[in-house]
Amino acid sequence: MVLVWLLAIPLVGSILALASGDRGAKFVAVGLSLVEIVAFIVLLAHGPVTLNAPWIPDWGVRFHLGADGLSMFLIGLTTVMTTMALFASSPAYPKSYFFWILFLEFGMVGVFESLDLMLFYVFWEVILIPIFFLLTGYTGSHGRATAMKWLIMNLVGSLFMLIGIIAVAVLHAQPFGTLTFEINQLTHVPMSAAVAPWIFASFFLAFAIKAPLWPFHGWMPDSYSEAPAPVTALLSGVMSKAGIYGFLRIMLPIFMPQMRHYQTGLLILAAIGLVYGAFMALRQKDMKMAAAYASLSHMGMMALGVFSLTEAGILGATFLMVAHGLIIGGLFVVLGFTEERTKTRDIAAMGGLNDDAPRLAVYFLFFALAALGLPGLPGFTGEYLIIQGLVAHDMVFAVIAGVVLVVAAWYMIRLFQGVMQSVRQGPKIFDLSAAQVGYIGTLALLVVLLGVWPAGITSHAAPTLYHAVHLLATKGGAAS
Amino acid sequence: MSATSMMMPEYLILATLLIAMLGIMVSRAHSTLPSWLGLLGSLGALWATVDIWTHHLKPEVLFNQSVSIDTYSLFVNVLVLIAAGSTILLGWQAERHHDEFPVLVLLSALGMMLLGMSANLVTLFLGIEILSLPLYILAASHRNSLGGEAGLKYLLLGAFSSGILLFGLALIYGASGSMNFTDFASAVSSHSPILGAGLVLALVGLLFKLAIVPFHMWVPDVYEGSPDSVTSFMAFGTKVGAAVILLRFLAYGFYLSPDSWGPILGYLALLTMIVGNLVALTQNDLKRLFGYSGIGHAGFLLVGVAVHSVVGARAMLFYLLPYGLAVIGAFAIITMISNGDNNVTIDDLRSLAYKKPWAAALFIVFMLSFAGIPLTGGFIGKFYLLQAALFAHQPGLAVGLVVGTFLGLGAYLRPLQAMFRRDGQDQALAGWNVNWAQIVVLVVAVVGTIGIGVYPTPVVHWVNQSANFFWLH
Repeated sequence: MVLVWLLAIPLVGSILALASGDRGAKFVAVGLSLVEIVAFIVLLAHGPVTLNAPWIPDWGVRFHLGADGLSMFLIGLTTVMTTMALFASSPAYPKSYFFWILFLEFGMVGVFESLDLMLFYVFWEVILIPIFFLLTGYTGSHGRATAMKWLIMNLVGSLFMLIGIIAVAVLHAQPFGTLTFEINQLTHVPMSAAVAPWIFASFFLAFAIKAPLWPFHGWMPDSYSEAPAPVTALLSGVMSKAGIYGFLRIMLPIFMPQMRHYQTGLLILAAIGLVYGAFMALRQKDMKMAAAYASLSHMGMMALGVFSLTEAGILGATFLMVAHGLIIGGLFVVLGFTEERTKTRDIAAMGGLNDDAPRLAVYFLFFALAALGLPGLPGFTGEYLIIQGLVAHDMVFAVIAGVVLVVAAWYMIRLFQGVMQSVRQGPKIFDLSAAQVGYIGTLALLVVLLGVWPAGITSHAAPTLYHAVHLLATKGGAAS
Repeated sequence: MSATSMMMPEYLILATLLIAMLGIMVSRAHSTLPSWLGLLGSLGALWATVDIWTHHLKPEVLFNQSVSIDTYSLFVNVLVLIAAGSTILLGWQAERHHDEFPVLVLLSALGMMLLGMSANLVTLFLGIEILSLPLYILAASHRNSLGGEAGLKYLLLGAFSSGILLFGLALIYGASGSMNFTDFASAVSSHSPILGAGLVLALVGLLFKLAIVPFHMWVPDVYEGSPDSVTSFMAFGTKVGAAVILLRFLAYGFYLSPDSWGPILGYLALLTMIVGNLVALTQNDLKRLFGYSGIGHAGFLLVGVAVHSVVGARAMLFYLLPYGLAVIGAFAIITMISNGDNNVTIDDLRSLAYKKPWAAALFIVFMLSFAGIPLTGGFIGKFYLLQAALFAHQPGLAVGLVVGTFLGLGAYLRPLQAMFRRDGQDQALAGWNVNWAQIVVLVVAVVGTIGIGVYPTPVVHWVNQSANFFWLH
């Protein structure tokens, strides 16, 4: 039942935000998002849970929700980051903004909870709409074009995935006679060599665009830089995880033989994204763009973990999803603070901000260090596990990942130095207010907690992933 | 069951027609009496349809096999009556000066209902003509100069296509010696060339009514020139009538030779989905936009016919409902914005989200339903059609559907983005008139659209029952 509450609270909250006045909308939205966190804590205390009810019986579509070791912490990430984004949003935004943010939370919680492909697809497309309007209505001069680009690229992926979903279900139905869209029942669909690559590609494209992985990241730079900082935090922190989550939740169980078959190609793709993102981050002049390309690079790292198809790699990717969500989300919020104060994003036009705003500089440094994978912070744990998995599979990719970690340190330190250190130019700025320290500090504490106690997640996630890795041995193992 | 009680919905509409005509004679000009009568008649017929469905659900073939009353025809009745009722409501204010408006709408609806139950060539042609003739008049009833053009264009092209259809039907009769769809089987199995020629001509006539590319040329001009409420009726009702008769005609009469018509219809469906939605991308006039996107939707419907399977029939029948609800909802908003004389363009929607947020929110819902985004009925409809295409091993049709959807989405997003532009905030809306009748339509449309999107189970169940005739040739 708590699963339904987790969906209902943001949905009701979004409608309440729309019904309240323009002044009260932020208050209502923040309140409801805190209630949502309470609901998540109830879920955490309760442990793994599922809910399975008929939805459209004539088609075998079921309202099948679940939270297990893989999805539970992503739900938590969604609730925490939505609250952060709402705190960081200016109360001057019209109420429709808060409506869309909570509606986005509804969609993302739904994506992470769904265990039925059709239900998954419904939520998968539902998240397109709030982001489209968040990009189109409240941003700078290029908002409309950016939103169009975002929607078109994502829809290309998801519409073909719809064909893929129905094709899998139809293929499953033809020998056995009944339609079903449940992921755990579709794991042994017989696919002929003629159709399997196409169906595989339809799913892969959707997830790769959403993540985004190179070369499907065309929408990313514009969207991340055009969106208001809180929205960027949600996009990079939570929404992008849906892509990697799709690989873990859907592609590993259903397409393991194809994953095995294309493994080298997939690894190369992910590795190119990793390197490309890192070097693009290094040469950005705009601080938000630098963080955006850093995020692209990290997505490549997670994809490497998944595509290594080893237990350690997949576990590392799962952990890094949550850790990276908190870190990059926090980084974008801090960048938002900075931009709000300096009115610019050009690194060259800033510098020396730590004189005026030491607290801002501390949090900036903290999230930058976390993002570059400093040991003791959670990014390191995830990257360590992924590299361990890569070593077990293929040394070459492990070396590439290790080298990129060095580049990551370079681009993050460069960003920090450029913005915070050196000589101050321009007028004096204000430091963080007590309220801002309150919520960004809480987020930093969460990151520290995850860094010193990664087992809090990995011990829960490992049994769930055991299933996927078990499939690896039985299904794909023979093929390799 | 007697013929009278099985035909009760149709008799009720007929009686309403006559009473409304008498009412026009006795009441003063421009009164709401005929509209009230028409609305009550539609509701009564709807009630009678539901009553037959729930209490006497046994298919009957009446009048020497010319009409077949079954779950299929009853479901069509529901669709047509929703279309007719909402049209009368949408025209409540704007069409007041045409006293005959509700009468003509009901007459056309009667033709559509007849098409839903038609099981032989005579009722097929009668249905098409009863549907079309009142629409020729309605299309020409707009006050501005485009009205005359629309009416004349529709009349000439419609009469031409009716002629082709009639010629085709005559050839079919000549080859098979029977008027009944179910008696064509022997002629079909002997591969009669005359029958083949007749089928081609009849298909051209029917596809013209459904506005399938390349027989779609009349749609944009006629939609543009007709009054808003009439356009919504054409976009919803005419498509229902043409699609359901096409399905029954082929499934009853030509089920032995699906290979002779299925692939052709499949290619036409592909062409229609792409061309309709592609051209919709470039339209500025909202009615033309809905005209072209309606052509695209007709292509989607044709997918359900072309696959020739029970899933296809169900999917097509299902798709009509969310499509129709989105049409009447969108046109309700258009009639609110329209100032009567000029058509509403995308430019007129500028900044609507800030001026009339609720109207904008509802318009978004209907556009998303057209585009097939989840949690709206349109998505469930597309999902069903994709199932049909893939069950029939037609991945090409599935891809075409997706590409069409994709292009269509681009067309629907342009009005939405215009609504969120901030540069028109200080301009007043050209016209803004709301009355209770439009609100009723809006409520029905939005509740239906979101209701079907969130919990489609009952509708799926009814539709599955409705298409059972497919097995009972």
